[in-house]
Amino acid sequence: MKGIGTAAGNFLLKTKLFWGLAVLYGAGIVLSPVNRKGVNIFLEPGNQADVLRQVSNNGIIAVGMTLVILTGGIDLSVGSMMALGCMLCAMLLTLTGWTAASVTSIPILAIVSVFLCSYLVPLVATNLRRGSARPVEQAGMTTRLLGLVLGVVVAASLVWWTTSQLQTKFGVLSVLITVPAVGLAIGGLTGLIISKGRLQPFIVTLAMMVAILGVARLLGGETAAVYPVYTGSNATDQFDILRALVLQVIPVPGIFFLVAVLTFGFILKYTSFGRYIYAIGGNEQAARLAGIRVDQIKTAVYAIAGMLASLAGVLYTAQYRQGKPDAGTGAELDAIAAVVIGGTNLMGGKGSMTGTFVGVLIFGFLTNILLLKNINSNIQFVLKGAIILAAVLLQEGQIGLWWKRLRARTKKVSTDGPRKDEVHFLQKLR
Amino acid sequence: MSLPDSPSQPPQRLALEMRQISKSFGPTQVLRDVDFALRPGEIHALMGENGAGKSTLMKIAGGLIEDFEGQILVDGQPVHLASPRDATRAGIAMIHQELSLVPELQVDENIFLGQEKLQSLFLVDRRNQIQAARDVLRTLDFQGKVQVPVSQLRVGEQQLIEIAKALVAKARILIMDEATSALSINETDRLFQVIRRLAEEGVAIVYISHRMEEVFALAHTVTVLRDGRRIGTVPGKDATRRELIRMMVGREIQEMLAEDKSATRTAKPMLEVRNLSLEHPAPTPSRPMLVQDISFSVGAGEVFGLGGLLGAGRTEVLQVLYGLHPGTSDGNIWIEGKPVQILGPVQAKARGIALVTEDRKRDGLVLSAGIDRNIGLPVMRTLTHLGIVLPGKEKELATSIIRQLNIHARDPEQVTGSLSGGNQQKVVVGKCLVTKPRVFLLDEPTRGIDVGAKAEIYRLIGQLADQGLAIVLVSSELPELMLLCDRILVLREGRPTALLDRSEFSQETILEYASPGGAIQPEFLKLETTV
Repeated sequence: MKGIGTAAGNFLLKTKLFWGLAVLYGAGIVLSPVNRKGVNIFLEPGNQADVLRQVSNNGIIAVGMTLVILTGGIDLSVGSMMALGCMLCAMLLTLTGWTAASVTSIPILAIVSVFLCSYLVPLVATNLRRGSARPVEQAGMTTRLLGLVLGVVVAASLVWWTTSQLQTKFGVLSVLITVPAVGLAIGGLTGLIISKGRLQPFIVTLAMMVAILGVARLLGGETAAVYPVYTGSNATDQFDILRALVLQVIPVPGIFFLVAVLTFGFILKYTSFGRYIYAIGGNEQAARLAGIRVDQIKTAVYAIAGMLASLAGVLYTAQYRQGKPDAGTGAELDAIAAVVIGGTNLMGGKGSMTGTFVGVLIFGFLTNILLLKNINSNIQFVLKGAIILAAVLLQEGQIGLWWKRLRARTKKVSTDGPRKDEVHFLQKLR
Repeated sequence: MSLPDSPSQPPQRLALEMRQISKSFGPTQVLRDVDFALRPGEIHALMGENGAGKSTLMKIAGGLIEDFEGQILVDGQPVHLASPRDATRAGIAMIHQELSLVPELQVDENIFLGQEKLQSLFLVDRRNQIQAARDVLRTLDFQGKVQVPVSQLRVGEQQLIEIAKALVAKARILIMDEATSALSINETDRLFQVIRRLAEEGVAIVYISHRMEEVFALAHTVTVLRDGRRIGTVPGKDATRRELIRMMVGREIQEMLAEDKSATRTAKPMLEVRNLSLEHPAPTPSRPMLVQDISFSVGAGEVFGLGGLLGAGRTEVLQVLYGLHPGTSDGNIWIEGKPVQILGPVQAKARGIALVTEDRKRDGLVLSAGIDRNIGLPVMRTLTHLGIVLPGKEKELATSIIRQLNIHARDPEQVTGSLSGGNQQKVVVGKCLVTKPRVFLLDEPTRGIDVGAKAEIYRLIGQLADQGLAIVLVSSELPELMLLCDRILVLREGRPTALLDRSEFSQETILEYASPGGAIQPEFLKLETTV
C-alpha cells in the first residue's frame, strides 16, 4: 500500500506544475464574472483565444529563453530584439525604396543564408547514411563547395526577391524571412562574444540589450516615431493573416507559439543538440572535455533566442498595427519569469519545454483573471511578483524544508541521559 | 573488551556522542541506528567503503544535515545542530576533502573569517589579527608567510590554515574528511604530528580515510560502517588490515599482487612525446615553466607512470597531451608513428586520446544527468541519425558499460550525482572507453574511492593495457604507481629527474628524485645544464 502511496506521491510531485495550472484555471472559472446571458466570460471561446493570443509573444520568446537558461546562461537582450524586429517589420511593410531598415536587413539576410547553407549542407550530407556519422570537418571538399555554392545561390535569389519588393513594399513572407534572419545574426553575434570571450552572459546580453534598443530607435529616425501599419492602405492586406483566427478560434500567433514549443521541445528531447544543451548547463567543463564544441552550441542557442525574439516583434506589429521602439519593454523579464515558473533551473542543466509551456500559460491565465476582475494594474504587478516567488519556492521544494525545520526546532529534546530501554552501546563495549 | 588507552587521563565525559542516528535520502536509507562515541583526546578513525555513510554521519555532526533521527550530545549535553554555525558554537569543526578557504583572502583573514578581531564596531584590527594568526600557526609548525593570499600556498599548508581556523574557533572536536588525499608524503607526516599533538592537548579528532596505513599510524580507535550500519568499533592497535577490510567489505579481498608483465610488452611505441613544455602563468626564477622539456614514449600495452609531488607538473603533462593548453604549450606528439597536432579536446578525441581527470565532479561528470546521458555524451554522433537520437541506443550503450565495469546502479538512467564516488569514477572511465581510445590518460583515477572499487579500477587498467592501449598514469599514491606501472618518469618542479624501470622501483627512490634538492639521473642532469 505504501508503495502505491509513494508512487502516487511521485506522480503528483512530477505533475505538480499541471496541477498548479488546473487550480488556476478552476479559480478563473469561479472568479470570473458572468455576462448578461449567463455565460461565464472566462470560459468564452473568445476569451480563451485572447489568452492564447496574449501569451504567444511572451511564449515564443520564452522558448528561446528556455534553451539559453538550460545552458546556464541568460539573455537580457530579447526585449530589445523584439523591439528591433517590430521596427524593422513595420518599416519594411510601410516604406518603399532603400530605407534604414532595408539597407541593414537585406545584406544580413544574404550573409545568414550563405552561412547557414554552407554549414548545414555538409552537416546533413556527411550524416545521411545511418550509422556512419562523421564530424563536419571530415566532410569532403565537394560537399563543402556544394554547400557554399548553394548558399550563394540562395542568398542571391533572396536578395533579388527582396529588392524587387522594395518598390512595392515587403509582403508577409518576405518579412517573416528577413526579420528573423536579422535576429538570428545578432543573437549569434551575442553568442559568439559570450562563448569566444568566455564572458558572463548576464553582462554581455545587458550590453546588447542597451545597444540593440539604440539601433531600434535609430532606425526610426530623428523622431523615433511610431510607424502605424494599416493593412490595406499603407501595407499589404495579407499582413492581416498574422492576426487572424484559424477555424475562428485559434489565433495565428498562438499557432506560431505552439509550433515553436513543439519544434524546440522535440529538439531538446530527441536530438544530440538538445543533449549538448543539457550537458553544458549541467557541467560545461565536463562537456568541453568530452569533446563537445561548447562554443558552437552556445552560439547557436543565443542565435535561436534572437531569432525567436525578432519573430515575436513581427507578431507584435501585426497585433497592434504599429512598429515602435518600446515594443519589447520588459519582455525579457516576463520570459525569464515564465521559464522559471515552469521549473527550469536558472543554474542550467535542469528543466523542460513542457514546463515552459505550462509556465507561459500560468502567467497568461493569471493576467487574464486579474484583468477580468478589473484589478488595478499596479496591484496586478504586485500580485504577479508574489506569484512568481511562490511558484519558484514551491518548485525548489523549499517550503517543505522550512516546515521540517520548524518542527525540528520546536521538538523537545530530552535532557536525561540515555533512554532506559536502550542499552548503551558503550556499556556493551565495556 | 576494554576501550583503548588514550594518551591523556581517561576522561569520564564523552566529547561527542551520537545516539541511534538514522537518515534517509528519499527511498535510500544511508544510516540506520548508528551509535558513535568520541572521547576527548581520542583520534577516532571512521572507515567504510564509499556509500557506507561515513560522510553523512559526520555531516550530521557538523550541522550540514538537519533532518535526521537520533540524538547528539556534546560534553554530555544534548545539542541541536541545525547549521554549521550551531556546530561551531558547540565546538565542532569540519575540515572537508575539498578545502573551504577563500583563495583571494590572506592567511589571517581566512583564519578569522566570520570571527574577525575588531578594533571598534566594524573596523578589523588587522595587526592584532596577524599576530594572533602567527601565534596559532607557530603551534602548528607552519613556516609560510601570513600576509599572502592562501591561493599562493601549497595544499599541505592550506590544510594547516584550515586547522588553525578550527583552533581559533576553539574547536574541541575536529572532523577531518580525507584530509591527506592531496598531500605528499612529507606533508602527510607533518600533518600527523600536528594531529597527534592536538589529541594530546585534549582535542577529539574524527579521522575519515581510505588509507589503511594512515589509520594504523594514527588512530586510537577505529569504527567501521557498512551500508549505513555500525559494524564494529575496535582499538587501533589491535586492528589488523585483514580484519578491517573484512568489516568494511563484508568479504575477504585478495590483496593485489604485482605481476611483472614487462616481458610481454611490445616495443612498438604508441605514444611519443618530445620536448613537451607549458608556460607558467606567473613565472618565478625557480619555476620559469610549469612543464619543461619532457620527452617519453609509451609502448602499446604499456602502463607509464608520472611520479612526483603535488604541483610537480604531472597533471599539466596530461592536460597538454589532451590539448587543454593550446597556445601556451609546445612540443611534438606522435601517435603510432604519425605526428599529430592537438589543439583541443575535440581533436584529442578524434586522435584516440582519452583523459580521466583528477576531479570527477568538477571536470568529469554532468552530475544532474543520468549515467546513460553521461556515457553517451562523447559519442553522441554514433547514437544519432541526422541529429536525432536513435531510440534506446544510449541506454544500450550505458547498460553494456555498466555491466563491463560492474557499476552499481539501479538503472542506466540513474542520476550520476546520486552514485557513490567509486561508481562515479567508473562512469567517468566508461565515458572515456566508449570513444575507443588508443592512448588513455588517467589522473588520480582512484582518489577518494573505496578498496573494492580501487581493485576493480586496477584490474581494468591491466585489461586495457593487455588490449594494446598506451596508458599514462598519474597518482600520488606511490604504492599504486609502483604496482601498476611498467616505468615511471619522475618529475620535479616541471622537469624530469629520473626514468625508472620496474626493477628500480621503491618509495625511497621515487621520493629522492621527486623532492626538491634531491638527486637527478645523469641524462636529465645534462639536459638541465643546457637549458
